[in-house]
Amino acid sequence: MGTSVQVTPLCGVFNENPLSYLVSIDGFNFLIDCGWNDHFDPSLLQPLSKVASTIDAVLLSHSDTLHLGALPYAVKQFGLNAPVFSTEPVNRLGLLTMYDQFLSRRQVSDFELFTLDDIDSAFQNVTRLTYSQNYHLSGKGEGIVIAPHMAGHLLGGTVWKITKDGEDVIYAVDYNRRKEKHLNGTVLESFVRPAVLITDAYNALNNQPPRQQREIFQDTISKTLKAGGNVLLPVDTAGRVLELILILEDYWAEHSLNYPIYFLTYVASSTIDYVKSFLEWMGDAIAKSFETSRDNAFLLNHITLLINKSELDNAPDGPKVVLASMASLEAGFSHDIFVEWASDVKNLVLFTERGQFGTLARLLQADPPPKAVKVTMSTRVPLVGEELIAYEEEQNRLKKEEALKASLIKEEESKASHGPDNDLNDPMIVDTNNAHAPLDVVDPHGGGFRDIFIDGFVPPSTSVAPMFPFYDNTSEWDDFGEVINPDDYVIKDEDMDQAAMNVSVHLEICDFSLANFTLHLVGNSVHRDAFCMYRELSSFGGNVDGKLDEAAASLILDTKPSKVVSNELTVQVKCLLIYMDYEGRADGRSIKTILAHVAPLKLVLVHGSAEATEHLKQHCLKHVCPHVFTPQIEETIDVTSDLCAYKVQLSEKLMSNVLCKKLGDYEIAWVDAEVGKTESDMLSLLPISTPAPPHKSVLVGDLKMADFKPFLSSKGIQVEFAGGGALRCGEYITIRKVGQAGQKGGGSGPQQIVIEGPLCEDYYKIRDYLYSQFYLL
Amino acid sequence: MASMGQPPSLKRRDAPPVSREGDQLTITPLGAGNEVGRSCVYMSYKGKTILFDCGIHPAYSGMAALPYFDEIDPSIIDVLLITHFHLDHAASLPYFLEKTTFKGRVFMTHATKAIYKLLLTDYVKVSKVSVEDMLFDEQDINRSMDKIEVLDFHQTVEVNGIKFWCYTAGHVLGAAMFMVDIAGVRVLYTGDYSREEDRHLRAAELPQFSPDICIIESTYGVQLHQSRHIREKRFTDVIHTTISQGGRVLIPAFALGRAQELLLILDEYWSNHPELHNIPIYYASPLAKKCMAVYQTYILSMNERIRNQFANSNPFKFKHISPLNSIEDFSDVGPSVVMASPSGLQSGLSRQLFDIWCSDKKNACVIPGYVVVGTLAKTIISEPKEVTLMNGLTAPLNMQVHYISFSAHADYAQTSTFLRELMPPNIILVHGESHEMGRLKTKLMTEFADCNTKIITPKNCQSVEMYFNSEKMAKTIGRLAEKTPEVGETVSGILVKKGFTYQIMAPDDLHIFSQLSTANITQRITIPYSGAFGVIKYRLEQIYESVESSTDEESAVPTLRVHDRVTLKQDSEKHISMHWTSDPINDMVSDSIVALVLNISREMPKVVVESEAMKSEEESRKKMEKVIHALLVSLFGDVKLGENGKLVIRVDGNVAHLDKQSGDVESKNEGLKERVRLAYQRIQSAVKPIPLSAA
Repeated sequence: MGTSVQVTPLCGVFNENPLSYLVSIDGFNFLIDCGWNDHFDPSLLQPLSKVASTIDAVLLSHSDTLHLGALPYAVKQFGLNAPVFSTEPVNRLGLLTMYDQFLSRRQVSDFELFTLDDIDSAFQNVTRLTYSQNYHLSGKGEGIVIAPHMAGHLLGGTVWKITKDGEDVIYAVDYNRRKEKHLNGTVLESFVRPAVLITDAYNALNNQPPRQQREIFQDTISKTLKAGGNVLLPVDTAGRVLELILILEDYWAEHSLNYPIYFLTYVASSTIDYVKSFLEWMGDAIAKSFETSRDNAFLLNHITLLINKSELDNAPDGPKVVLASMASLEAGFSHDIFVEWASDVKNLVLFTERGQFGTLARLLQADPPPKAVKVTMSTRVPLVGEELIAYEEEQNRLKKEEALKASLIKEEESKASHGPDNDLNDPMIVDTNNAHAPLDVVDPHGGGFRDIFIDGFVPPSTSVAPMFPFYDNTSEWDDFGEVINPDDYVIKDEDMDQAAMNVSVHLEICDFSLANFTLHLVGNSVHRDAFCMYRELSSFGGNVDGKLDEAAASLILDTKPSKVVSNELTVQVKCLLIYMDYEGRADGRSIKTILAHVAPLKLVLVHGSAEATEHLKQHCLKHVCPHVFTPQIEETIDVTSDLCAYKVQLSEKLMSNVLCKKLGDYEIAWVDAEVGKTESDMLSLLPISTPAPPHKSVLVGDLKMADFKPFLSSKGIQVEFAGGGALRCGEYITIRKVGQAGQKGGGSGPQQIVIEGPLCEDYYKIRDYLYSQFYLL
Repeated sequence: MASMGQPPSLKRRDAPPVSREGDQLTITPLGAGNEVGRSCVYMSYKGKTILFDCGIHPAYSGMAALPYFDEIDPSIIDVLLITHFHLDHAASLPYFLEKTTFKGRVFMTHATKAIYKLLLTDYVKVSKVSVEDMLFDEQDINRSMDKIEVLDFHQTVEVNGIKFWCYTAGHVLGAAMFMVDIAGVRVLYTGDYSREEDRHLRAAELPQFSPDICIIESTYGVQLHQSRHIREKRFTDVIHTTISQGGRVLIPAFALGRAQELLLILDEYWSNHPELHNIPIYYASPLAKKCMAVYQTYILSMNERIRNQFANSNPFKFKHISPLNSIEDFSDVGPSVVMASPSGLQSGLSRQLFDIWCSDKKNACVIPGYVVVGTLAKTIISEPKEVTLMNGLTAPLNMQVHYISFSAHADYAQTSTFLRELMPPNIILVHGESHEMGRLKTKLMTEFADCNTKIITPKNCQSVEMYFNSEKMAKTIGRLAEKTPEVGETVSGILVKKGFTYQIMAPDDLHIFSQLSTANITQRITIPYSGAFGVIKYRLEQIYESVESSTDEESAVPTLRVHDRVTLKQDSEKHISMHWTSDPINDMVSDSIVALVLNISREMPKVVVESEAMKSEEESRKKMEKVIHALLVSLFGDVKLGENGKLVIRVDGNVAHLDKQSGDVESKNEGLKERVRLAYQRIQSAVKPIPLSAA
């Protein structure tokens, strides 16, 4: 029997909810994608929470929220600690997407599902793979090979191929067949006859209009601008927006337009900086232009990168284009800008992707669009007056309590451990620590002198009289010197916190850099957003891998105590609303073509509205393969292939007598062999000792009438297509195919070809030509 | 397994020579065999051919600098893999692509390709040779760019069944080590590699799988590098001392690769020493300036350190280093540090400055890497009293010469650890001066004495041949595999080979497990015939055992079915139609029926004698024996009738007795016995009637 394969959807079947599926291969559990939607509704993750602890590996396919949004939450709340695999761009851009999501949310609500820290820790341990890299799992997954392949759609987007014992399980959602400006099309079509294909039905009912649309897109924008209106494109943080940026750049350059374009997200400049170094992952055109002229397509000439809205507000008046996140209009800059601009008839809001279900964007994409929408405007305002005082008092109280508690614990610890663990509190050691990290401008007292700052001092409970803490330096020595514990030298987050509290220099730095994102650094033409500042800060803090540490992260948002003020308002939607499909997903037609080409032995359909799923299921049952599965949430389906297989060794003796015929990539031959055993107890095939039993002859080949016709005419035979796909050769002879023509894959048997005609020389000649198209075995 | 002309192991002697040829793996260095420069290694196995690297020898010019391409047929090479952009690894590529019959595919990494173009364009401009000596021009380079394909580290590519992927090699930006897998035999070609992480590059990776053969560089032989920190300190100390004494420092370095590392060191040193800020550092290479964009882009190919710095500011935007275009722009007033190419001081800016500065003992020259034999840089390392200037005059060599190697090649410690981890059964040393290589070989031999490792140091064009007993494994799938057979049973099916994987399947499953499809061809011909249908039936019955007659259900015309294969129908008074499914036997049967029908209509009906059938049996037996005898004679020559009806066959003094009844053969010579037995078996099956049970 083949490899056992089970699929359990955890989210995102029969609807457009985020994607998350559990695929178990011979007992090894893959979580493929870990998505969330823009509402961050924890109830969606219910099924995931139940299985999170059993997961052995996580594979991420795209860098948007729908594919990886729940990762930080799951890692934090559900104890999902399996290794995560993704491509470099998915990892990097996914991180930025989550930052943007968090910051957008945090600005308008007390968002507490996860913190920047959780995002960092979730993305920190991702194993990054390149396309077509065969990664061999070890341990429990021994024998399983995973490989990401190009999916198109988003930069770094992945079609996952999981192979065990020569059987492929392919997971392909949101792929794009078309080549775009910055991406090549998917390589999904290069896989044939995988054992299982898991794919989405999201776009099964949509058909893309032909390419001319692109011109309309740019024309619509420039028309609005010429009429003095503003254009808002609600976009994602780091996904499809890259394609839009290139389209606009090109159009602006071509038509020498001067209207400003702004790209506004909390992480806009970081995004573009990273994207600039991802050329390896982009399409041929971009790679080629860089190789020959070193023109990096993402050195933008017409687009200004902004990271806060005040910059946009300060921009000169006049028509402009703004690309702002989020695409759903639920939060982020796009939300605010929409509210501002919606009531002006001159303005245009251009959607380039279908809004997530139940979001403002989706509401506005309805036909006809609503005349007015209710929105909640929320802003974070600093606390003032009494509130501030109350807050500070509360904070102080809390801090004191904590400090007291911490010092108590410290005391306990130091008392309990007279071993080398105490080294942390030895000033000498702190000095060495400092010398090791000369960049460490955060006060060196970070760890060492903590206890000196205790309010009052607490006598150890064991001592008879109050005394200053005394530490016996009882470090152990061995042949190499003092025995140390490396952990003692790591500056811990809580230490950082302490440092931040106590050291005024540090606070100043933070204040200066983080003043609620209003900082705008323009230095040597390098535009940096606040994020990079935190990074610098955190690397000063000895945190070399660029991870945000808790102190810095919480300081960003909490330097000034603030609260969220919300008010409901109704916005009259007078501006023009247009939806154009720039999702970069394969449309219904190409999905069907690709599926027919890939022709999996078993097909699992996920992610798509109920109608789309049902439609595609019916289509595939008819044209692709007889085994189509559409599981419900938490329904485990078994797609273990019923394939029988065993391995044999081909003996030298047998192979030296086999003559292979070449047919495209394949070489084929008929073998008659006798089964024997090798020394290592393997089955082996030996030449047959008795005369081989005769077998039914097999014609191998694929006759295409359209190709056969020119072939015949090149041989000097008059040939034309008669009705019904029959080929009329010479005067009397006809060749035609019978049976379901044009169908490929599992449902079809051998081709049936009929040649008929009267007895004449031509008949035999044409029959010979027909035979020449096949290999006879 | 490996040998150089040694007889293959006993086990293979009985294997037929055809398959032995396929199992022979040949590796031939066309360059870099017992030398440094013009790397080019040819490899072939199982009819697949690969070329690693395509360099030139920096010490020669024109055709003499090329690897020995005339030893091979470029048109049969499937894949050409370039490890990194250095001239001795990539510079003969435009020549090879544009001026030879090569038509395979070329691969290199993204960064290598981007720099390759800049570097070679510069090389063409700089090399001042006559037009006839020019190996290629700029247009050749531009054309070659279209043919070069890129791959990313770890990405597996398959071409004609050759699978390959690459690992980080350290050395320079984009440098790769290639692992090639042909039918399960793995070969690792390291190119130039370094196992030490430096300021911007990652250390060479240790491949996951141990290769069967490791083709490894031996540039530094048995030497050991000082630790990186000591080298860096020596480097900065020499420079600091020299400039504080008012001297000038010349660093002859190749424009790309190590130069970027040195610049990172200098820039950092200057940042940490504000007192040096008034001393200029010049970097005299417009080429390097152009390549900076590449360094600023392919950050992903570098180490974590750079990637983290990149999050803050681009480390390749230097603060203390200014570019210098030519010596005319250089005002030589007071101390300065100049890094200039070429590294060998052959000509160009580095030589011009050397000529000016060499006689002042305050000045210093730091040679930061490997220098090729035959260049001035190599000469001055031995600190001669005098040197010859470019204008032919001699001058005293007073400047201090320091040799501090930063070249990212593995030293002995790295090489031996690397090999010890990989444990390849065969090691081929290339890219090293012959005596360095010899010493390395000896030392490795002692180190690996206990593990049966073959270490080979072929010279240019000297082939290394090895045999790999590759087991061919096939997977039987589908209907054919419903039951795993026992020993002695037979398996019949279609063997499908794709690349080097084999599958055996039933014909009906072919379209399920491969993209191939099968077809049935139904033939239908009409034959003019106006006689009675019964006559045909009668005649057919005389020839064929099974002729069934019935009436067609639809058209109610009489039909005949011969052996369930061919169906004849009387369509009308004047025509009969015949249809069958194509296969050789059916076609033959149908042909005979056609002939028969045509004969009937041509001849008048005859009276047929029944009794003939009996007699003919005896006759046909005699006839058969005659035929068998004649065929045997034509095969073996001397065939005589011996006692008890046995045939005596003599070939070259060997005698075989053949029993005609049983087919048994007796002979002292096994080979002859087998041949006669097989021949007789085949003759018999040819002479005897075809069994009709085939279905």
